Amino acid sequence: MIYVTDGSFEGILTAVFEAYEKKEIPESIVSRNFYQMSLDTQVREIDTNEEKSGRVYHRVIEKMSHEALETMYKAWLSEYCEIGTALYRYIRIGLKIGPGILSYLQNPDVLRVHDLAYKVSGEVHRFLGILRFKKLNSGLYYSKIEPDNNITMLIAEHFKERLSDQPWIIHDAKRNVFALYDTNQVIFTKEDISVYTDNGADETFEELWKSYFKAIAIENRKNPKLQKQFLPRRYWKNLTEMQ
Amino acid sequence: MRLLEKLQILADSAKYDVSCSSSGSNRSNKKGQLGNAAVAGICHSWAEDGRCISLLKVLFTNYCIYDCKYCVNRISNDIRRASFTPDELCELTIEFYRRNYIEGLFVSSAVIKSPDYTMELIISTLRKLRYEHNFNGYIHVKSIPGADLNLIHQAGLLADRMSINIELPSVQSLKLLAPQKDHQTIIKPMSFVSEQIQGANELTIYRKKQMFVPAGQTTQLIVGASPDSDLTIIRLTQELYNRYKLKRVYYSAYVPVNADVNLPAINTSPPLLREHRIYQADWLLRFYGFNAEELLDEKHSSFDTKVDPKCDWALRNLDKFPVEINSASVETLLRVPGIGYKMAQRIVRARRIAPLSFEDLKSMRVVLKRAQYFITCKGVYYGDLDIDSGNLYSVLSEKTDSKAMYGQISMFGGGY
Repeated sequence: MIYVTDGSFEGILTAVFEAYEKKEIPESIVSRNFYQMSLDTQVREIDTNEEKSGRVYHRVIEKMSHEALETMYKAWLSEYCEIGTALYRYIRIGLKIGPGILSYLQNPDVLRVHDLAYKVSGEVHRFLGILRFKKLNSGLYYSKIEPDNNITMLIAEHFKERLSDQPWIIHDAKRNVFALYDTNQVIFTKEDISVYTDNGADETFEELWKSYFKAIAIENRKNPKLQKQFLPRRYWKNLTEMQ
Repeated sequence: MRLLEKLQILADSAKYDVSCSSSGSNRSNKKGQLGNAAVAGICHSWAEDGRCISLLKVLFTNYCIYDCKYCVNRISNDIRRASFTPDELCELTIEFYRRNYIEGLFVSSAVIKSPDYTMELIISTLRKLRYEHNFNGYIHVKSIPGADLNLIHQAGLLADRMSINIELPSVQSLKLLAPQKDHQTIIKPMSFVSEQIQGANELTIYRKKQMFVPAGQTTQLIVGASPDSDLTIIRLTQELYNRYKLKRVYYSAYVPVNADVNLPAINTSPPLLREHRIYQADWLLRFYGFNAEELLDEKHSSFDTKVDPKCDWALRNLDKFPVEINSASVETLLRVPGIGYKMAQRIVRARRIAPLSFEDLKSMRVVLKRAQYFITCKGVYYGDLDIDSGNLYSVLSEKTDSKAMYGQISMFGGGY
């Protein structure tokens, strides 16, 4: 039996609810976007349901801890193609052993979810550093990012706290997700807002930053391999100092 | 002079200071103000030498009245000189911060006119940042050797971290290479700041937290400018951590910038592997429960080039191994070569749920290349060589990859 969901976190939790309620053990929980029909497997279509997913959500917190739920959510943000199945297995183990699941890393199903969450947390931390704002002529600060994972929600909180007195936009160009901050609150949207961001930027400080970046390296210690190890090539194109 | 040119000169002169950390402070932001500090610290970029960039690291000025032999900014050098004004430095910090280039400012300085005059210029910059620009980001300030303690106290109330560089690891080396500074001008402010930090912590108990250097105090030692041994360096380090409660000691492989009979030749490459070994030992002192005397002694006063200090220690203490993964204490696990701090915690937590097999360790991604010779799992030894076969040193020796990551190793071994 295969369960097919809309791929959302709530969709996956709804599927888990259905599995327990129907006393079925689906071999996988997949997203419609990735699912390929095959004739010899039975399929159950899952409609995302707030109440059902909410019950699993609270059950996880109660039985496995808040941290376990957070781990699951972060893992989901990795957009890993088999995340539905992975979370389902994680919950099954967690409901048996409780909060200890966070330490039970010798189990491959637990380790997988832990690793995905770890990767997402790592990229969140990385982007707190390598995200760059341009100051547009309108006074708005604009940042374009293309992270591996869907982390805009997680990083927006940090910038709301830190750059609280300036309006900014963070644009995930890979997923076309925008976080908008007006010095009061953050709003997330998928609407095209390029009308606000299509205007020139003041480049004085970009030039100053670039020359600082060059001056601070010690010539006798040049080590491009080490540099790339810390800052993989794929991140360079949105970095002011690498242009 | 244009700001761009100043920035180039004053960043270039600051680059031999290796501290980059922005950790240890959790200064928070207030509505309508700018910035905060993240306890864990954040790296914003990595320069071409692979070192992290977290703070805008500049000298306030590189005009200097001193003539320290090892220093690029000494008065007798014919180099381009510049000074920021407090407003220029504030503007750079704020504009860089708003674009998320940096965590904050790391300001150090050569000594212009007098130590007090220099310190006052720095303090006025910090005051502007905190009170005119409402800046709550990270500030690391260097105390200028010889400055009045009252000025150092004022700076400490504005900064997150303070440091004063010892640079030369022994009194003899200091006399030889920096005759105008004396040991006391460095140790006195260091112990003053250390007392002030503890005082502020005690005050916190009965009244609103007073912020005095909340991220603690650090220093830097130069490796390879003087004939001091690794043993001298890590003994000093140990004392700095124990007695002065320093947060970090940084090490800087000496890059020859001046010719002098008392210094390594100008074409000498920086001793990067030696610096790396000392950093490894520093971690063993801070997080792994080792003390300096276990790692080195008079007969054996420099670190091995082929194996790291922990491995070196283990090879000299084979009678303490192998240890059982399922019962050894965290402290014991931390002494196993190849098992790091995080892994030791992970093992101890995981074995509470179920005993660990060798396969379990592999799937938890414990790196067993070195550890396999020093552990048993459920009583079984998995190393492909016997622990007392006498061949462990050659098996555990690092091959060429360390060269690629830490630079040339050709010049070590002898010492100068």
